[in-house]
Amino acid sequence: MTGKRIGFCGRTRREFLWQTGCGFGGAALTSLLSGDGFFADASASESPYRNPLAAKPPHFAPKAKSVIFLFMYGGPSHIDTFDYKPKMKGMDGKTVEVKTFGRGGHRTGGRIVEPRWEFQQHGQCGKWVSSLFPHVARHVDDIAFLHSMTADSPIHGSAMLMMNSGKILSGNPALGSWVNYGLGSENENLPGFVVMLDPTGGPISGAKNWSSGYMPATYQGTVFRTEGAPILDLSPPSGITPELQRQLIDSIQAANARHLATRSANDDLASRIASYELAFKMQSTAPEAVDLSTEDARTLQLYGIDNERTRDFGTRCLLARRLVQRGVRFIQLYSGGAHNDDNWDAHGDLEANHNRHAGNTDLPIAALLTDLKQRGMLDETLVVWGGEFGRQPTAEYAEGSGRDHNSYGFTMWMAGGGIKGGVSFGSTDELGSRAVEHPLHVKHLHATILQQLGMDPNRLSYFYSGLDQKLVGVEEVEPIHEIIT
Amino acid sequence: MLLTSGTIKNVAGFLASCGFLLAIVNGISNKGFAAEPADASVASPVESRKVDFIQQVQPILAKRCLACHGPNEAEAGLRLSDEESAFVETDSGEPAIVRGDADASSLIARVTSEDESERMPPEGDPLSAAEIAVLRGWIEQGAVWDKHWAFKPMARTDPPAVDDPAWSENPVDAFLLHSMSQAGLKPNPPADRATLIRRAYYDLLGLPPTASQVQEFVDDPDPRAFERLIDQLLDSPHYGERWGRHWLDLVRYAETNSFERDGEKPNAWKYRDYVIRSFNDDKPYDQFVREQLAGDELQEVTTETLTATGYYRLGIWDDEPADPLLAQYDELDDIIMTTGQVMLGLTLNCSRCHDHKIDPIPQKDYYSLVAMLGDVTSWGTRGDQQSNNQIDVSSPELVTRYQQNEQSRQRIESAMQEIEQVGIAKMSATDQRATEGPPKERKKILDEKLKENLSAEQWLEYRELADEWKQVKQEESELPPRELVMGLGRCKQPEQTFVLYRGSPHSPSDPVEPDFPGIFQSPKPELSQFVATDRSSGRRRVLAQWITSPENRLTARVMANRIWQFHFGRGLVRSSNNFGQLGTPPTHPALLDWLALQFIDDGWRIKSMHRRLMTSRAYQMSSESREDGQSIDPANDLFWRFDSRRLSAEEVRDSILAANGSLNRQVYGPSFYPSLSQEVLAGQSRPGSGWGQSSESEQNRRSLYIHVKRSLLTPLLTAFDFPDPDLTCEERFVTLQPGQALSLLNSEFIHQQAGRLADSIESDSKQDDEVVRRTVSAVLSRSATDEEVQAGRDLIATLQSEYGLERRRAIELYCLTVMNWNEFLFVD
Repeated sequence: MTGKRIGFCGRTRREFLWQTGCGFGGAALTSLLSGDGFFADASASESPYRNPLAAKPPHFAPKAKSVIFLFMYGGPSHIDTFDYKPKMKGMDGKTVEVKTFGRGGHRTGGRIVEPRWEFQQHGQCGKWVSSLFPHVARHVDDIAFLHSMTADSPIHGSAMLMMNSGKILSGNPALGSWVNYGLGSENENLPGFVVMLDPTGGPISGAKNWSSGYMPATYQGTVFRTEGAPILDLSPPSGITPELQRQLIDSIQAANARHLATRSANDDLASRIASYELAFKMQSTAPEAVDLSTEDARTLQLYGIDNERTRDFGTRCLLARRLVQRGVRFIQLYSGGAHNDDNWDAHGDLEANHNRHAGNTDLPIAALLTDLKQRGMLDETLVVWGGEFGRQPTAEYAEGSGRDHNSYGFTMWMAGGGIKGGVSFGSTDELGSRAVEHPLHVKHLHATILQQLGMDPNRLSYFYSGLDQKLVGVEEVEPIHEIIT
Repeated sequence: MLLTSGTIKNVAGFLASCGFLLAIVNGISNKGFAAEPADASVASPVESRKVDFIQQVQPILAKRCLACHGPNEAEAGLRLSDEESAFVETDSGEPAIVRGDADASSLIARVTSEDESERMPPEGDPLSAAEIAVLRGWIEQGAVWDKHWAFKPMARTDPPAVDDPAWSENPVDAFLLHSMSQAGLKPNPPADRATLIRRAYYDLLGLPPTASQVQEFVDDPDPRAFERLIDQLLDSPHYGERWGRHWLDLVRYAETNSFERDGEKPNAWKYRDYVIRSFNDDKPYDQFVREQLAGDELQEVTTETLTATGYYRLGIWDDEPADPLLAQYDELDDIIMTTGQVMLGLTLNCSRCHDHKIDPIPQKDYYSLVAMLGDVTSWGTRGDQQSNNQIDVSSPELVTRYQQNEQSRQRIESAMQEIEQVGIAKMSATDQRATEGPPKERKKILDEKLKENLSAEQWLEYRELADEWKQVKQEESELPPRELVMGLGRCKQPEQTFVLYRGSPHSPSDPVEPDFPGIFQSPKPELSQFVATDRSSGRRRVLAQWITSPENRLTARVMANRIWQFHFGRGLVRSSNNFGQLGTPPTHPALLDWLALQFIDDGWRIKSMHRRLMTSRAYQMSSESREDGQSIDPANDLFWRFDSRRLSAEEVRDSILAANGSLNRQVYGPSFYPSLSQEVLAGQSRPGSGWGQSSESEQNRRSLYIHVKRSLLTPLLTAFDFPDPDLTCEERFVTLQPGQALSLLNSEFIHQQAGRLADSIESDSKQDDEVVRRTVSAVLSRSATDEEVQAGRDLIATLQSEYGLERRRAIELYCLTVMNWNEFLFVD
């Protein structure tokens, strides 16, 4: 067991296992040695291993293989972005009767804050988009806008949980966990559910937003950093080279082989041995996935990585594309973090807030759509945009343009992954205060996402607490058929 | 990325959850054994053997039929949840089941139909051939119907006679051997003593024995050495830490409220200590339950019993709910779900919105229980997060002095706030908003701008109040500290409870009175009328008495099963929180009842149960595999061997600290905060918020004492399957995923501990051989083999010669590798 390893893996796993003459059962050994598809084939019935993240068959042919959820944390104002309200023009400062419910409680009227940005028509479909999103506006023909979204809570804590897990109470698995559980991962060297945070901080409730709840932690979201080692504990302390790490793992595996010799039927021991090999592979795969040095200058420029303003979100968008290319199923990017104006929560100065966050994200989001499309990936990648709720038409305070939360009606959009382009579905009233036509609930959005991934939202269930728990709840929910190709 | 072994424990339950994997489930459940009665033990070929209704038929009905043809709904006039309904004529004019004639039974015709629109069940995969064979066989054999086992009173059965004297001594063994013999299996030979002591140490203390403790036990000539060891371990204060943690999993123990602010639950740790102490004191289980449910209403109320009511305060709490009324019922539902599953093994929570779809628990029964808890207050309000959940257990005089002080302070504060609001109303929107933010920001604005927005008169008055406030605060700080515990600080007068249509508190329908669930067939509770001076309603005491009555059909069974589960790795009933019809039937029903009755006869003493189970031959068997066992009973349903297991999250961390001698074994006290990397804290919206700093010696305490912050669980523990604390956890997952390997190879923690291990074995002054011997002894509590010495010596040498490491660093890394060995992470 001495001697320096040559090359990346040095003496291969294969040699190692043979040489240590360990007591793997024939079947286990076969499985261990099944080429590069190390445990990839969960259906290999002779294998004692069961990788819960091994790719699982969907219920039916999927239209999307991956999801990129662009989470506009804090709640972007729909009437200032994509939900055009021409009748509000000239109403600024007028007092109107309108029922609202936000952090300030229930109100029956207030002072109109007229949308602060000009709207223009774009694309073949003639979609009205505000000047906050000039780049995204060029993609409207690929986008389906959902203008009649509603949620159960206009309070960040519970609303975030709802958008991420379908419930206003904590303890339930996140959407990404459901996807992980239902479909597994195409690439066992990377997590199936990746979360990338805003540099200002995580969203409120932190890890609760990507928790796997009552499911095994195996399915929880993994926070990917955009700098340094992407995953916690992925890289050894300085001074430990891959070769040295390999040497240490070989030594551990030799001891494990001696231990296994008298316990050959114990699959757990063999699985744990395998998990070290997988960990070792991840150490090289994950850093490669976030290494942007192989991207050309044009791509970096496309995503705005050469620009201070757009660098952070652009990097996350580009990483999302790279992760999709590597088989990651569900990627969530946060725009905005922490509290107050570090995210879209524009209670004070609406203009400053939204100019900042839209300005940081517009170009990168457009770049992501462009890039996915030109690479032929958009068809199989579902991009979702939106926050945990929208904002009210009226002002929150006696002065200023700040808007309170609004879960009675708001806009989200989807693109790619079998979603119709150039479509607007549902509507809010003339002030955008509430959904009036085809009201949609968060669970319809979730159902649509699962549907596009090839899963029946009413069948994907997990038995817990005496019940077949479902992301969309116990009652049947239809996906939004009108926006599906 | 992640890999688990085939042992996400409770594989059947795990897979069952997944609708489209049902075919696999069926495969598994058919392999499973009905260990008792023996004549129904092998499912295939089904028709030639007697089909057992409880073990084989009912699970199929429950999983595949009852959602539409059960207690809640009887589509097409067919209800398959009780015998009376199952055989009546359905809407089609014919009965679904004709006893003795499968071909005439439309149930068989419908489940076997080729026509998809005809075939039942309408959703999911069709029934498997094996399932259909079970139903067919059962009908052919006369369709004998039996009431669900768990809803019947416990039956006293004598242990069966077996012809092995060694396996007759302990009745537990007689039951097990009997079922093994029926299947043609023999039990494994005894484990060797080194294995046994390690098994017992981890089982009872969650800590490894030292090498010398192992040696002493191995050399002990006393044939009763193991009995003595059990007694000694049960006397250790660390016993309560290990077994208390099992209970904490069940009651979803955490020290914060979750949601946006994830605020502290002050003094939650005192409840945790109460649990540990109760186990250490061998408190009878019935008393333990009574104290938690009604510690404030018992004949003798003490600080201890008040602390026990912290049970009601462990759940999540949204300080800013969108629908406050719904939130109140959500809080109660959380308590009912936990109490139902943990204490009764019933998913009562499934009856919140409609009659239970599977078990005979009507919606009305759920709300009768809500009424039983009618005096339970919410955790608090945003403005007052103390009165409801903190109980002052200081002396009465001190309590009065604090009350007076608080009244003065509140009076002054409200007067000050009134003036502040006058000033704030005149400020800019941005400033106004800032005053609604964190107190610090509010203060800043007030300090800067209040004066200019007030009249001189108002300002003067304000200043005077401020001086007064300071003085009152000063007085408060001079009072001796008071002692608070977390619990039912305040109760309320119960209101009339209603059945809520579809579970919505905005749609009350029929009024209900407090009552016990009907399936227990208990007499109605005797409750007293609430009078205004009552502190609480007395209903919880009645509930607690009923749950802990020896007549209760489930309480003793459920707890006996749990104790079994934690010793043997799985319960006799695998679904230990669900004894209902969707649960897994017991592999050894007679043994379960025998244990439950014995448990009651022993005065509900848990330590007596430990002795009974651990002195069995079954517990002391080797964990080795055998070919005949593997082929006849691969799931080990018959307990022909002892199942080895991976260490729990806490055991992994504690064992690492124990190996290098740095484990701080201090028992009880406030929780500590392990250092978390910036990387982990970055996931919070305010990095570091709600996370304190603890001294090194505090950080060396057992993992059980780590502060449980719902939104910031310690990654090392989570990697090893520490459960999400929002919901009850009956049994932890056991995954074997690469994230675990990464944390044991690369984390700051493991490298720090490896360094300490190198120190503790005095590696600097020892030869490499000795270093290896000492490392193996410290980590694995045994002597190193020659082969290990050589391999270790070679590794240390290679790390220096090939990789240019200093000797010290090479030894540290060697230490690290040994802490990664499977032998260290698994208990045989």
